Amino acid sequence: MLEIQGLNVFYGDIQAVWDVSLHVDEGSIVALVGANGAGKSTLLRAISGITSAKEGEILFSGKSLKKLPPQDIVKMGISHVPEGRRLFSNLTVYENLKLGAYIPRSRRSVTQSIERAYDLFPVLKNRMNQKAGALSGGEQQMLAIARAMMSRPMILMLDEPSLGLSPMLVKTMFELIMNLNRQKVTILLVEQNIHQALKIADQAYVLENGKIAMTGKGKELLSDPEVQKAYIGTRWSKS
Amino acid sequence: MKKDKQVILTALLILAFAVVPFIVDSEKSYLVYSLFLFFCYIIISQAWNLVAGYTGQISLGQHAFFGLGAYTTALIWLNNITKTGYYFDPVTILLSGLVPATIAAIVGIPLLSRLRGDYFALGTLGMGEIIKVIFVKGGSITGASDGLHLPSSVYSSIRPYYWTGLFLAVFATLLIYLIVRSRTGLALKAIREDETSAAAHGIHVLKYKVLAFSIGAFLAGLCGSLYGIYLFHINPDSVLKLDWTLYPILMCVIGGTGTITGPLLGSFFISTVFSVADIYFVQMHPVMAGILIILVMKFMPKGLIGLTQRKEL
Repeated sequence: MLEIQGLNVFYGDIQAVWDVSLHVDEGSIVALVGANGAGKSTLLRAISGITSAKEGEILFSGKSLKKLPPQDIVKMGISHVPEGRRLFSNLTVYENLKLGAYIPRSRRSVTQSIERAYDLFPVLKNRMNQKAGALSGGEQQMLAIARAMMSRPMILMLDEPSLGLSPMLVKTMFELIMNLNRQKVTILLVEQNIHQALKIADQAYVLENGKIAMTGKGKELLSDPEVQKAYIGTRWSKS
Repeated sequence: MKKDKQVILTALLILAFAVVPFIVDSEKSYLVYSLFLFFCYIIISQAWNLVAGYTGQISLGQHAFFGLGAYTTALIWLNNITKTGYYFDPVTILLSGLVPATIAAIVGIPLLSRLRGDYFALGTLGMGEIIKVIFVKGGSITGASDGLHLPSSVYSSIRPYYWTGLFLAVFATLLIYLIVRSRTGLALKAIREDETSAAAHGIHVLKYKVLAFSIGAFLAGLCGSLYGIYLFHINPDSVLKLDWTLYPILMCVIGGTGTITGPLLGSFFISTVFSVADIYFVQMHPVMAGILIILVMKFMPKGLIGLTQRKEL
């Protein structure tokens, strides 16, 4: 469904992603894991068009995304929940959701989509007229995901959905991601919570300094001694 | 029910303003002139409000569009271009809005695609100065620094200015109200909040920014046209001065940016302060206005509109 071939991404003179190739199968959960600054977020930003300086090829259902601006990429069915959520904080929950369905394809079904979002996250319904910035961290993350789902994407890219959430909420968040996946949404997940991410991932890629260091099935990587040593460590970082 | 009430109240308020020239002696009363200025301030404030308050693009070039509107009116009139009568001619006034709107779109594309935040503000300031220089150096076409003189013998009463001003102020406010409630308005607010995120949701950021900038220029141009017809003498010092950018900013900030009623309150507040100070504290009024502005900002950072809102938790 999503195919990346030999991708290099730059920030000015600095290269953040080096010759990355990966593919995401339809209906799967793919996790990109790695330390801070490994290039995970950059990769997502390159796919969604926010970062435009890139070489190589990004194909979505056979079509090249490389030269498209972000507003055209979202129209093709790729939705991105960026790091730090990037909500429209002075707008209401309702307005945020409505903006999620801005593209023509999803505009017609906006009422049903909002109903679906409220079913998924009842708390958002109670707070529909509050400003997004007034929500708690967990609620904001829910809103960010609900907003991204409003465009009825085929693939949902989540950047650190568990960041800043309490352990309880982290669990809920990962259950939710699996839930969305069961509803036939393909998931591309970037996480620092490597343990949780690998547990749910069908396929996973480990990034190190902008390069793919390892790849495999999520559960396989989880038990890989190298990964354990480098990223999961001993009990205090297990969630 | 609540909405109906609001509509009725607004209509009554507009009607009350409309009949003022019948109640007071419009040719001698200072009130009618002050209210005329108040209406002009509303138009340019709402223009800035759309661009900066709702779209988040701080434009410091509104005076250029105001001046362009005034000059367009004068040039059409003096060169007898449209052959439509000119004194309060709707065609001329409309064209005086469309010319700045077109120029805003042309300069807006490079400015808004290349510059963000403070740099955009400085870019528009530079654009305003360039336009001013063009008019100063315009030779016989623009009348250089002396400007253009319109045939003032057609003046008979301030009443048509008053009503046109009222009409345009209502038009500007209604236009902004309808825009911000529409899908377009939602896109503009999203751009103000987070440009990158807006683009990632399928909003063509540049297109909407240019649209807002252009509509802002359109309204400023309409106001410039009306004010030009009032002055009869259009020169760079009167219609291209920076005040036409600074006043609307002041009024929006004092009243409450990014709201519909904020600029109305701010315009009313500032024009009242200016008028009162003009009468009682001749030559002191900038000082008084300055003090009041500091006080409002200190105690009401959200502007006067903040008084009507409940405190948010």
